[in-house]
Amino acid sequence: MTNSDQPANAGTPPSRGKIAERLLPGGEEPDPRFTLANERTFLAWIRTSLALLAGGIAIEAFTSDLFLEPVRKGLAVVLLLLGMLLSAGSAVRWLRVERSMRNKAPLPLPLIVPLLAGAGAVAAAVVLIFILWR
Amino acid sequence: MDSSHSAGSHGDPGLQPERTTLAWGRTVLALVTVSAIFLRWLPRHGLPILLLFAVSAAAALAIYVTQRRRYSTRSRGLSREKLDADITAVLWTAFAGFALGGLGIAVVLAG
Repeated sequence: MTNSDQPANAGTPPSRGKIAERLLPGGEEPDPRFTLANERTFLAWIRTSLALLAGGIAIEAFTSDLFLEPVRKGLAVVLLLLGMLLSAGSAVRWLRVERSMRNKAPLPLPLIVPLLAGAGAVAAAVVLIFILWR
Repeated sequence: MDSSHSAGSHGDPGLQPERTTLAWGRTVLALVTVSAIFLRWLPRHGLPILLLFAVSAAAALAIYVTQRRRYSTRSRGLSREKLDADITAVLWTAFAGFALGGLGIAVVLAG
């Protein structure tokens, strides 16, 4: 309990580490509950991206007697690319939300939501076209 | 984790540290799943796949072995109402997902 009496002044806050000072500058620590909620939301997005990766890997591994090679590879790449972009996007989202909360600003709109929706629609369209034209 | 206190030592009725630690635990499970499916690429794509397996398994292991510390940091942060955002863990986890996707695409296109 060495730090329990630390004043929460904004003048010279205790060092938060170089990365934090640089990526989360200014403002003050939000309610710990908000920080943890932001972290859990980030993790939910990461798991979504991992599920997409798993889907892409599974399509490449298991569907060689179902899909033609270009379709199989195309679908796998779409899913892997989406998982990749969502991983990066979820970190960006986490940073932007954390920044907004530090500065008591309104939360930013999630750009990864239209990304996920759009790419999901593209993947579905690829499968649909394949099924109809096979 | 010692659960003999009713709401942990932090006294938060919303059990935020527990929920957050469990969320990390679910992420470990997702990473383990991904690493296991990667092994199904071994017959077609050969030994380089072990690198993909190693990256996802290492990420899972890194989260797993820091779980206890993660719980106590957050629990303490809640008790004193001041908690630093865990920027390192977030960036590393996101990087792992990004790298796995990129390496996976390279393998699919090369094979």
